[in-house]
Amino acid sequence: MRRMAEIAPESSATPYFRFRSAVGEHVLIVPHSRIFDLSGDAARDWDRDGHAARETALMLAAETLGEAGLSDVVMPQPQSISLNVSSACNLSCGYCYADRGKFAGAQPKRMDLDTARAAIDDLLLHADRASPVTIGFMGGEPLLNRALVQDVVHYAEKIAAGRGLDLRFSMTTNGTLLEPADIELMRSRRFALTVSVDGDGVVHDRQRPTPQGRGSYAALTKRLAPLIADPGNVQVAARMTVRSGTIDLAARVEAVLAIGFPEVGVSPLRMSADDSALAGEDWPKYLSELTTLSRKELATANTGGAIRLTNFAVALKQIHAGASSPYPCGAGGGYFSVAADGKWYTCHRAIGDPDYEVGESGTLDEQRRRTFLIERHVHSQTDCRCCWGRYLCSGSCHQEARNRTAESCDFIRDWLRFCLSAYCELSTCRPDFFLPRTVN
Amino acid sequence: MPELNGTKLLARNVAAVRRSSALAVEQVAGNPVSTRLESGVGNCFPGLECDLRNLERRFLPFLEVEFVTLVTSAGDREFILPVAVDMEGAERAFAAGALSEQDISIYRDIDAAIATGGLVAGIQLNGTFGILGRLELDLFEFIGMPAAGPGRVPPDLWTAVRMLTEGTPVEVTFLLQDRGVTLVLETTRARYLDDNGALSAAFLPGELTQSLCSPWTHDFRDCGCFYWASNHPDIVQPVFPAGTPPQDPQPWTVDVPWQRRERQVSTNPPPSATQNSPAPIEIRHYEINRRWQELHFVMGRRETTSAFKPIEQAGKPLPDLPALLAHLRYAAGVELGVAQEYLTAAYSLKPDDDATMAGNPQLRDDIRATRSELMRIAIGEMRHTRAVNDVVRALMPPGGFQPALQVARLLPPVPPSLIRPVEFRPANRAAIEDFIAIEAPSAGVDGLYFNILATLETPPPDVRPFAAPEWTEAISSIIAEGEDHFQTFLDIREWLAPYAESDYLRSTAPPRPLPGQAEHDALQQAYVQLLENLHLGYARGRLPGASPINAARVSMIEQIDPLAHAVAAKGFLVVFDELADDRFRPIDPP
Repeated sequence: MRRMAEIAPESSATPYFRFRSAVGEHVLIVPHSRIFDLSGDAARDWDRDGHAARETALMLAAETLGEAGLSDVVMPQPQSISLNVSSACNLSCGYCYADRGKFAGAQPKRMDLDTARAAIDDLLLHADRASPVTIGFMGGEPLLNRALVQDVVHYAEKIAAGRGLDLRFSMTTNGTLLEPADIELMRSRRFALTVSVDGDGVVHDRQRPTPQGRGSYAALTKRLAPLIADPGNVQVAARMTVRSGTIDLAARVEAVLAIGFPEVGVSPLRMSADDSALAGEDWPKYLSELTTLSRKELATANTGGAIRLTNFAVALKQIHAGASSPYPCGAGGGYFSVAADGKWYTCHRAIGDPDYEVGESGTLDEQRRRTFLIERHVHSQTDCRCCWGRYLCSGSCHQEARNRTAESCDFIRDWLRFCLSAYCELSTCRPDFFLPRTVN
Repeated sequence: MPELNGTKLLARNVAAVRRSSALAVEQVAGNPVSTRLESGVGNCFPGLECDLRNLERRFLPFLEVEFVTLVTSAGDREFILPVAVDMEGAERAFAAGALSEQDISIYRDIDAAIATGGLVAGIQLNGTFGILGRLELDLFEFIGMPAAGPGRVPPDLWTAVRMLTEGTPVEVTFLLQDRGVTLVLETTRARYLDDNGALSAAFLPGELTQSLCSPWTHDFRDCGCFYWASNHPDIVQPVFPAGTPPQDPQPWTVDVPWQRRERQVSTNPPPSATQNSPAPIEIRHYEINRRWQELHFVMGRRETTSAFKPIEQAGKPLPDLPALLAHLRYAAGVELGVAQEYLTAAYSLKPDDDATMAGNPQLRDDIRATRSELMRIAIGEMRHTRAVNDVVRALMPPGGFQPALQVARLLPPVPPSLIRPVEFRPANRAAIEDFIAIEAPSAGVDGLYFNILATLETPPPDVRPFAAPEWTEAISSIIAEGEDHFQTFLDIREWLAPYAESDYLRSTAPPRPLPGQAEHDALQQAYVQLLENLHLGYARGRLPGASPINAARVSMIEQIDPLAHAVAAKGFLVVFDELADDRFRPIDPP
């Protein structure tokens, strides 16, 4: 991993965020996301003397051995790619960012085997053996190019075995085309399967229809049932899209869980082809729904249960670990998305956008990567660089950042504040919740 | 969540624990991590580890001052000269309502006067000067008086400021010479330490050492302070020639001047230095500029001409993981055992207000120092118990850890093979000698840990997967602190040597209380509760166990300490009963 540049933080940016929970007073040290309890008079002292508080926070914020520098712009080797194997979809969801896989004409054809193999060769040749390598399948609907998926899995496994790599796969699918052969392929492998499912039959059929306007819920549940019943090594997760005007999360999440998913992740639309993205007044309602749902999950967890809302569970575990990054994701760093024509983009949302194209297999353009990483570093974001949530939100999805509004940012901060408090409560009631499940 | 002690920040998530751990292990070359401000050879003479005179430079909030002698019509007089104003801090205090409009304007005026190079001088100092009570010192008149008795005043201005009682009102009149005005600053005498006992944040790094001189060349000869650092003392024992036969008395064990002119190592030792020694025995001023490199380094009071080689202290690796775990569990028990012995000794000392010490402040101070150090060492042993438990936990398979909290029945052997039981005794001479013996380098407790350390450094196959550097460091730290304990017990022996045991002990043979003695019973209950909390905390592990561990710490101060005092006040020995509970029952050496 090479350090390409350093972008200094804003010197006036707040180094801490004070919050409280049911178990007491706390402070988040913003760099490196450290949480300290302020016991006794410490909270009063902290709030009384802002100067001393800032000095203490800066001292606590100092990087420790092994922690990545938050100002660094580093260029790791690609460690994971997604292959846009299909340029079509059997559904016709109005909000689809990918234009059913065609990306506004930028991806007219499906991916062929040579293109896929070239990308895999490039990925596996340089990947770091110490970390897992992931190959994802996207589209369009990736199962419309089933043969390629099968070929890629076997080809990549052979190469990875020779190089001693820990290879994993992922797929994002609408689930309606799953066949026993697909399930068989996945079950015996480390496969993370994300299924798009938006609620009960009524909501799902309305939001995710076929081009002919028919619903897709029945096909989804029928095709998915065998995998839900016996997932093998597959990690199955539901991803629910939330549009403006349909923010009744509790009922929809329950409906998705009733299908048999162990957990559900919800995703509010920030950009949409059919103008159904959440707008100003939607955000407070969305926050309210999300926190109400999370409080119920928290109550269950406090008494020994599991948390089934992926967003909440992931947030809590990341807060526990002290997740802290100047980037919201690995796009352009360790992660790339390969279009059907073999061009590499910073992520799957950017397919066809020349601003985010970074070369082809074997010939990544370092200068373009460097420029992307510098421009997208949270210290370069004038809106974000002073925010206390800057290393937790990290400016949010690169593709959606341009649609950021005061309301959407308030939502993020309020949600983070809720998760921070919830973490303190859960880690007091259930410290075992955060223990590693297996010890190597 | 229990109320935790003081104003501590408690790390909650992994990232916070990582930073806290880093803070705990951050080391710089130089003094060991256990060094505190009061560990240094602090004095008013330069050339030492810190110059305490620098503390008084910040006796007034937001001001940095010097004490300077100026010529007045009445003669030389000392004044308080502000050299810098912390205007940022003062303005912040003003904004927060802690300073009045009048106060802030004084600070602003002083700051402005300093900025323009004008003379600002404190000419009147009123306040409460410790045991001397309230005084009003007109610095144009004040010349100090070393006299004792009623009506006495401090001997000089710096001593006067040093005597000002912390937190009491102080009034300083400043003369702004350029403007010909006087300003009266009414404030309180600043505190040098914060609530946690740490040096006030007002002092900048390096500030306490800024006036130390570098003991070099001319300084050695010129400075008559007799307070050089330990490796450059004035008086030493001469280089011991190799192969010198043992003699009684050994003629080489003599005190000679370090800067003697005659530096040849001959068959006869150089002459001892006395008050009557002729002056030329030392290198002269002009000579030292040429011959400074002939001055020897001094180790253990004796000059050395060869490179210093520390004594190799090597342990013998234990054969396997079960043996290592058994030794560690016993080591935790030894820590608990000696901690209890030290506590018993500490509480056996006369309290500060004991009527028999009236009129003997030196005895009172020596007892107070002994008690403080015994308590400090006992606390150190408790920290070792914790560290050993951390190591045991790391060596156990997940879920297999049981806290090691059984008190040792016997202590490790002290050469020549003396094994003794844990024994509750007042701090009599025999006890202090035993404490010295058990803490001596390479012997007793140290010897036990050297074997554990060697096992972690050269691990047998079943230990190898767990032998992380963190655990080697933990055991090394315990050994290093044991060395400090040993040295401290030597000091304690020296402090108590001039006195009869009956001078400093509440009783030379206090009876052990029987069950039913109310204070003793209450102490035992608190002791069991303490162990329960420790057990719970250790069992939960570092992060989740913070609450019970802190509860245990708080109970030591709020419960155990007053109860132990109460037992001692009743004339009994403070002891900790053996417990039958499997978790806490006595443990035998492996």
